[in-house]
Amino acid sequence: MAKNIKETLLGTLVHGEEILENIRVMRSVSADKISCENVAAASERLHSKSLSLLVSSVFDTGKNAKVIRFVSENGYLPPFEAGQYINIFTEIDGVRTSRPYSISSSPKQRAYYEITVARIKDGFVSDFLLDDVKVGDKFEANGPAGVFRFQPVFHSRKSLFLAGGSGVTPFLSMTREIVDAALDRDVVMLYGCRSSEGALYDKELRLYSEKYPNFKYHLVISEKDDSWNGETGFIDRNLIKRLVPDYAERTCYICGPQVMNDFCKTELQELGLSEKQIRREMFGTRCDIQNEPGWPESLTGDEVFNVKIGERIIPAKSGESLLTALERSGVRMNVCCRSGECSLCRVKLVDGKVFLAKGTLQRYADEKYGYIHSCKAYPISDLEIII
Amino acid sequence: MKQYDVIVIGGGNGGLASAATLAEKGKSVILFEKHNIPGGCGTSFRRGRFEFEVALHQLSHMGTEENPGPLRELFKRYGILDEINWIQIKELFRVNFPDGTGLSLPAERKQCEEFLCKEFPSQADGIKKYFETVYKFCTEAAEFAAKSAKSTGEPSALKKAIMKAGFPKLYTTLANYGLKSTQEVLDEFFTDSKLQLALSAYWCFMGVPPARFPFAILAKCTNFYLETKPYYLTGTSMMMNQAIMEAVQKMGGTVRLNCGVKRIVLENGKAVGVIDEFGEEYRAKKIISNISPLATYGNLLLPEEIPDAAREYLKPYTVGISAITCFIGLDCSPEEIGFTTSFTLNYESLDANEDFKDAYKLLPENDPLVATCYTVDDPSVSPEGTSVITAGTLKYGESWEKLPPEQYYEMKYEAGRRIVSRLEKMYPGFTEHIEEMEIATPLTHMRYLGHPGGAIYGYEQDLIQSVFFFPTESKIENLEFASGWVNACGFGPNYTYADMVASKIAQEV
Repeated sequence: MAKNIKETLLGTLVHGEEILENIRVMRSVSADKISCENVAAASERLHSKSLSLLVSSVFDTGKNAKVIRFVSENGYLPPFEAGQYINIFTEIDGVRTSRPYSISSSPKQRAYYEITVARIKDGFVSDFLLDDVKVGDKFEANGPAGVFRFQPVFHSRKSLFLAGGSGVTPFLSMTREIVDAALDRDVVMLYGCRSSEGALYDKELRLYSEKYPNFKYHLVISEKDDSWNGETGFIDRNLIKRLVPDYAERTCYICGPQVMNDFCKTELQELGLSEKQIRREMFGTRCDIQNEPGWPESLTGDEVFNVKIGERIIPAKSGESLLTALERSGVRMNVCCRSGECSLCRVKLVDGKVFLAKGTLQRYADEKYGYIHSCKAYPISDLEIII
Repeated sequence: MKQYDVIVIGGGNGGLASAATLAEKGKSVILFEKHNIPGGCGTSFRRGRFEFEVALHQLSHMGTEENPGPLRELFKRYGILDEINWIQIKELFRVNFPDGTGLSLPAERKQCEEFLCKEFPSQADGIKKYFETVYKFCTEAAEFAAKSAKSTGEPSALKKAIMKAGFPKLYTTLANYGLKSTQEVLDEFFTDSKLQLALSAYWCFMGVPPARFPFAILAKCTNFYLETKPYYLTGTSMMMNQAIMEAVQKMGGTVRLNCGVKRIVLENGKAVGVIDEFGEEYRAKKIISNISPLATYGNLLLPEEIPDAAREYLKPYTVGISAITCFIGLDCSPEEIGFTTSFTLNYESLDANEDFKDAYKLLPENDPLVATCYTVDDPSVSPEGTSVITAGTLKYGESWEKLPPEQYYEMKYEAGRRIVSRLEKMYPGFTEHIEEMEIATPLTHMRYLGHPGGAIYGYEQDLIQSVFFFPTESKIENLEFASGWVNACGFGPNYTYADMVASKIAQEV
């Protein structure tokens, strides 16, 4: 075979002929490498781009809450870490949106994922899930995702779970995993609720604490109730000190409404716990953003501004996230955590002003070039954005 | 149907630079990126108080203001040079040996030579000759590359014979060392295995052991880091890539994030356009793919459209190595745990070729550990009194691909635990300062990059697949490749190669 000039010259290098021969051999013995099937198949089994879920059962739990179990349409659900969430897409009255829900079932079984939905005031999606969902309904979801979980490399094997209201759900998954798999962990859980009827999974958690010496559980009720003879008040430093004397040795996990979440963090810091011992789940965005410190006094949350996206102009309420406004107008958004952390719903703010809710994890470059996470950005003037 | 001069598939380093160069030259260009952010490997993510760099350790090809390198010139053309705070790094790297000793190599030729001669007096002659050889090799390689770039077509048989006879005389160093392995060259100059490791430390960064690692790559790496100096920047590589993306838009180009390409459209065997993931079709005179050739042919064409020539051409090339990386935020300063050089290469034994065998295993064993503390170079990278460290080891993806999914998290944490315990040994007290930590495995790289095997450098950069043999050619007319899969990998080489590819295309459209 006539050699081209490149091969001719390379042949003059030390080892040249030998290496050219190697390549000829490789070419003759190697199989065709172009096939699409194997690219990224293994990662798809762990991190599916999209899950097709079917509701397999729905039942009540506590007052005004339901457990929904999902199976996979194709029979496969990816593994997850206790504490992670799935982001469930819904289409309600023609509006496509989504909500992240912590998985409450144990990761030791993957026949189904279980979520728990509690009613919240004016909850667009929660009302739908509580009132309209029935067995056999189909949902698209992404996830499992999230970093609110036990990280064995540097978290203490002794944990303190601080749950508030429906924020108990990730702890259900964590607790079920520990008891299912008899893990060498030690947990104290303080669960704050307004009333004892409002407590989710109270019976189950109580049962675990009676049966397993490495799981202790206290329900803490904040509303006055004379028939209640358990712990009362808020989860504050005194309560923690009294119920969990070895708190300083523990990694603490907080999940609950933002006010409770922030309060508990401060209390733990006051007790001398460091950043690394305090792990927080930021679920969703608060519905009373106008009460967050820094909110412009002149605005009530009801003002409607114009948002320009390319040629289009859509309305956006100051008290609702930009993401919600985009979804209401039918703009298809890439989204996952809806809590300011994952950055999937990032958009570029070209003009105008937004109020950025706290807890948003922005990159340095995002700030520098005007990118915002639309799930945590509230329009406080007319805007122009690029998606 | 929208018509462009050029469509770019993939917004990694090569795709961004391709689009920027084309926009700069006044061409209409559109870039598609399936993720919500640009950058590919060159990106960052947030956890708690920290922002973690994903890929960049040291930027090459920058050069100083007085003595600018090709990358500085390129970023000047894009208009982004002054938007970024560049940080020059004074040391190439620190190599830590199994006996607890270590050496930090200065990033200046004379100082580096003198330092090594002092440390290894018996090898002083070899050290001087070695550096001469490295430099002479790079000069000859550059001269030859410049000359062959000018020539077109195949010369006559007579001319070929003359060139064949003349080449080894004209380019003695290139002819002697161009196809030698690192190990062979090191054995020629040195008997001390510590010195050999210190000088070849880049191998474990590239993922090919010294016995198979081309000396040509080591020589070029050594040469350009010494001459154009290692750099880092404020705001991670995400800052650089976001800046390039903004530049593309400013110069009139279009960038579509959250929008992957589903198909390349062929007409009479020629590439004429693409269809995006939402089904919209776009047309262009040329298409640049910045994704792997495997995914370009395999995923974006129908099976019957894949040219046999492409299947044949890619046969000798094997998918390269991936990595396990721990991204760690500490609640203390680097000094507090004794981290002094930002970029460290840590060995468990002096036999690198033997240690490399562990790269095929699932978990870290005696693998060399690459640990970088960004805070050493840029204290502003994280809040005061904290530091950011990434530490990892190169691993092939195969054993992770075979792992049952239910064992994944357990193995991932075990890998993290082993890496942290290596760090604990070197920096006592390390573990108790961990405030945030994420672990990336080959499957994580596969997830975000879409690369077969979770490969981070594309094909194996060994003697038969790289240097003179990169698979640069496209087997479809009007389709070109720009990524690290078809050329030397790394930020500097990727940007400059893509600029070259795009500049050539700009003359054709």
